[in-house]
Amino acid sequence: MIARMNAPLRKAESTFVETALDDETIVMHLDSAEFFSLNRTGGAIWRLIDGTRDRDAVVAALAAEFSAGAAQIGPEVDALLGQLRDAGFLDAG
Amino acid sequence: MTNPVTTAPADDLRERDPAEFLRRETVVRYGPVPDRIGGVAVAPGHCRLEGDAFLAHDEQMRLLYRRGEGVIVELMGESRPGDEYLYLNGSVYAAAACINGFYPIHASAVAHGGRVFAFTGPTGAGKSTLTAALGAAGLPLFCDDTLVLDLADPQVPLALPGHKRLKLSPDALELTGAAPREKVHPAIDKFYADPVGGSWPGPLPLAQLVFLEEGAAIALAPITGAERMARLDDDHYTADFFRQSAGLDAAGWFRLKARLAGQIGMARLIRPRDRTRFADTVALARDWIGGQ
Repeated sequence: MIARMNAPLRKAESTFVETALDDETIVMHLDSAEFFSLNRTGGAIWRLIDGTRDRDAVVAALAAEFSAGAAQIGPEVDALLGQLRDAGFLDAG
Repeated sequence: MTNPVTTAPADDLRERDPAEFLRRETVVRYGPVPDRIGGVAVAPGHCRLEGDAFLAHDEQMRLLYRRGEGVIVELMGESRPGDEYLYLNGSVYAAAACINGFYPIHASAVAHGGRVFAFTGPTGAGKSTLTAALGAAGLPLFCDDTLVLDLADPQVPLALPGHKRLKLSPDALELTGAAPREKVHPAIDKFYADPVGGSWPGPLPLAQLVFLEEGAAIALAPITGAERMARLDDDHYTADFFRQSAGLDAAGWFRLKARLAGQIGMARLIRPRDRTRFADTVALARDWIGGQ
């Protein structure tokens, strides 16, 4: 399935539990029991996935938060979104 | 209107004095014990936890714990000295603790400054030896082998003082200077020993859980982030007892680990398993605890 790039990003809420510990956001898939540890940037991306923002809005918000350019941030966001989709944490757009 | 007569609820003691509650829950009497629990037969050499009861069965004895009823032991043959004590204070006690909502960790611990510092690792990692040596360095023993946590207070994991006697190998006795008492069991090369630094008598908050590891250089370093949760995936049988008793699914287990990881400090103590470096290891651990 190919996700639409401009669709709002939504977490697959029923598939995971999460917590914050030290500077990390820890997400566990409930079926596989696999842990994902997100660093500060990854945790910020995770929080921005709120069902209203699409990929570009996430990049823009992150760029503003970290005072960085969208061109620099974009690949990082795409890489993490790919991992989150592969792991089943995101609803298909 | 008359004054209502109130009676203390059955679990009042559980809140007021959890250690005494557990002691009373595990009072032993002798009598017949079935070979099945919850309709399931338990073969010799096996045990089973079912609801509010636990059955352990070996060739020489069966032991049954049921909440509110204590432990019944049925001796069926020539049990070797020490067998009964090991069962009662091992799997039976751990099961009783779990059934009553306590969380046992495979750890030995010392007390310092009104808090508990626990050392954990697989069997043979050196937990008892290190805590015994810390006793000689002035820190009273809090528990040996099993650390029982009371999680009733959502803010503070409270550790209950140990219910087991300190057990040390001949090597550990020599290293720590502890005086041996009787042999633990004919088939086990360990002796009971009196803790050199005495024992701490009451519950205390758990401050740190230190994981014992082997390495060339002696070092003590904090564990942070996700590793703190991963480290709580204890493969000891008591973790299974607790999860089953508490009815924790994957999400519930995650939340418990998240809670404990947020409330308990964690560190790794790396050291060579080299007798000539043991005193340095103890000194580092002693100084680190003193600085907490």
